[in-house]
Amino acid sequence: MSLTLDHLRRTYGSFTAVDDLSFSVGAGEIVGLIGPNGAGKTTTLRSLAGILRPTSGSVRIDGHDIVQDPLEAKKRLAFMPDEPHLFEYLTVEEHLRLIGRLYSVDDFDSRARALVDELELAGKERSLPGELSRGMRQKVVIACGLVRNASTLLFDEPLTGLDPIGIRRMRETIVARARTGAAVLLSSHLLHLVEEICTRVIIMAGGRKVADGTFAELASRADLAMGGSNLEQIFLHVTGHNERSPTG
Amino acid sequence: MLSASLYIIVCSARNRVRARLRRLREPRYLLGAVAGAAYLYFSFFSRMRGANRAAERRRRGAPASPAAMQLLYASGPALAGILMLAATIVSWLMPFDSGLLDFSEAEIQFLFPAPVARSHLLVHRMLRSQLGMLFASIVVAAVSPLGGVRRLQIALGMWLVMAITKVYFTGISLSRARLASASAHARRVAWMPVGVLIAAIAIVGAALARAWVASPPAGFREWMLLIGGISMTGASRFVLWPFIAVARPLFAEWPGPFLRALAEAAIVLAAVAAWVLASDDAFQDAAAEVAAKKEGGQAAAKGAAFKARATGLHLDLAGRPELAFAWKAAQQTFRLVDRRSLARLVAIMFSLSVAAASIGRGNGLAAILGAFALVGVGFSVLMGPQALRIDMRQDLRHLELLKTWPIKASAVIRGELLWPGVLLTAAAWALVALAGILSAAVFTHVSAANRVAVALAIAILAPALIFAQFTIHNGVALLFPAWVPLGSQRPRGLDAMGQRLILLGGTWILLLVMALPGAVAGGLVWLALRHVLGAAAFVPAAFAFTVAVVLEVLMASEALGPAYERLDITAVETVE
Repeated sequence: MSLTLDHLRRTYGSFTAVDDLSFSVGAGEIVGLIGPNGAGKTTTLRSLAGILRPTSGSVRIDGHDIVQDPLEAKKRLAFMPDEPHLFEYLTVEEHLRLIGRLYSVDDFDSRARALVDELELAGKERSLPGELSRGMRQKVVIACGLVRNASTLLFDEPLTGLDPIGIRRMRETIVARARTGAAVLLSSHLLHLVEEICTRVIIMAGGRKVADGTFAELASRADLAMGGSNLEQIFLHVTGHNERSPTG
Repeated sequence: MLSASLYIIVCSARNRVRARLRRLREPRYLLGAVAGAAYLYFSFFSRMRGANRAAERRRRGAPASPAAMQLLYASGPALAGILMLAATIVSWLMPFDSGLLDFSEAEIQFLFPAPVARSHLLVHRMLRSQLGMLFASIVVAAVSPLGGVRRLQIALGMWLVMAITKVYFTGISLSRARLASASAHARRVAWMPVGVLIAAIAIVGAALARAWVASPPAGFREWMLLIGGISMTGASRFVLWPFIAVARPLFAEWPGPFLRALAEAAIVLAAVAAWVLASDDAFQDAAAEVAAKKEGGQAAAKGAAFKARATGLHLDLAGRPELAFAWKAAQQTFRLVDRRSLARLVAIMFSLSVAAASIGRGNGLAAILGAFALVGVGFSVLMGPQALRIDMRQDLRHLELLKTWPIKASAVIRGELLWPGVLLTAAAWALVALAGILSAAVFTHVSAANRVAVALAIAILAPALIFAQFTIHNGVALLFPAWVPLGSQRPRGLDAMGQRLILLGGTWILLLVMALPGAVAGGLVWLALRHVLGAAAFVPAAFAFTVAVVLEVLMASEALGPAYERLDITAVETVE
């Protein structure tokens, strides 16, 4: 397995954000991580990326523990956060070049050129983040994540700020990376996106995993099937929000 | 809108006080508050008591108003009025930001789309700025050497000066924006104050010239009398009246003259506010520009004017990661055009150099420049690492990104130190070279050989001291991230001030501890060689010191690695 979580727990003082979370993502899989606000999705992704230290439990990337062997684990990992964090004084191409240096990317120039075209950043290579729209900055973050050959990709709300064409391109990009063997974990509130591209879904609530399986598996589970036949209905049922509206 | 504005101000102030009181439960804030309170007490309040006692002594013994004070009270308002006129000229030529149009994100989001006139928004900003100005006025009054009711006069007078100038300079900014307006009417209205100002300059200038020709002033007292004279006669009396009225409450006697002066200043404030509020169209444009800037991104809104210019620095795709960090920081340095910081730095350097030159041992340009260079060396070596924060203290904001990079923690730390250390070392070396060249004019009795030896020793010591301080600052940022302001943030409050004082004191103590092994090594070398080499023994002694400190810096970067690994993003705080 490319990515393995084992009894992950993360607390903030007396508050437990993630509790006893275990799952794996294999090569070529696209796993959707969904849950209501405050479910612990972002804390989970930040713990996987090495930004937050797990309070207990372990995270392994291609067998390398993110706490015990962080350099090897991080080399194999790309995290694309929902909020684009960029250096306001580096241009787009300099961000890519910095990543190329820090991750020792082979064949950097051709990879960077292809990504700039793929993500429609052409013509913006010499722009500073302050001169870009939010969607463009999001694309730069994604380009920095994809310019290296990471075996595990973590996306936190990857479509935020993108226009319809950008959303379509991003969907294709994520699927294409999985086809080349990357393990993809994607957190999103856009359930139709998850339903469309994910091979498996994990539903979190209150810091815990409450459901895990392919869409077909979830839909066939007796306790979940009564919620409805699509992911939105299952999600609302699992998270306790399945009351039908008065009009509907 | 007025009630809404007052509601925002009162709620914000109340919640800020509550938040600051609540955070005192944490030991670091409590410690900071104790240190801040002690600092305030010993700096201001004990001085206030001393000033009161001195005022009491003066009342009992010496005459109430010596001649110099009488002269100051008589001609002070006129001098202040002329200075204010000069400031007005400067602000028309070189506009600066009075801060009145600096709307917060929340104000733009909530108030701009609200169905209220733009002039009401300006009134809101005027009201919001009052708390800060009142606090500043009280601080000025507290540090004043005068006691009793004079302190209250100073507080009220300063508040009026600040309130009027803030509004007035905003009015100038708004008018300047309309000077090239497409509308002929708007242009005429905007050019009118320019015409009035030119007429005022001509009248006051002519009066000054006439008075100077009639009786050229021989000294400060005559100058004061001349300025006082033109403010009381002829057309200049009327032209200078509004400028003098602003400053008069600071100099007027209690109670009658002061209350009259207060009323006159209030009239000027009302007139200036009415003028600015009448510039509603210009304000619409200015407010829209502010909103557009804010929408354009946080960096642009904060005026962090990075320009995407080519720096000529190329980053190879292979090599040590420390150099990649240094390259990143160098790009930042060469792309940042922070004119205000630069102006502040130059002003500080200039004042220090003038002070140094005035107490210096030589005359002439060479001596002044030499003294300037020496002060610059001291500043860049001892204060530079405190001021230049393009290291971990700034990159804590990007910790979320940095933590995902597969780089050894000690390499990250060394990389963060590298560029600011090199930059300050280069500045220090340039200034040492300048001081060395000009040292003959400053140290006239010291031999050339000795001057060269000392200059070389300082040049060798400089990087050691600079890198040692950067190591300490970055170590503190990693071990106590919540104590370190991020980037250009300036946290406010008594506790934050106390934290800064504790940090500064701690840094100096740590620097002494870090310098100790090097000092011992250097001292031993100097003792061993001084009879052989004379003053030149300073050079190998400095070298021994530097080697010891560099080893400590390398060891510290390794030792701080685990602290970086453990550093949690949740421990990094943003200011309220």
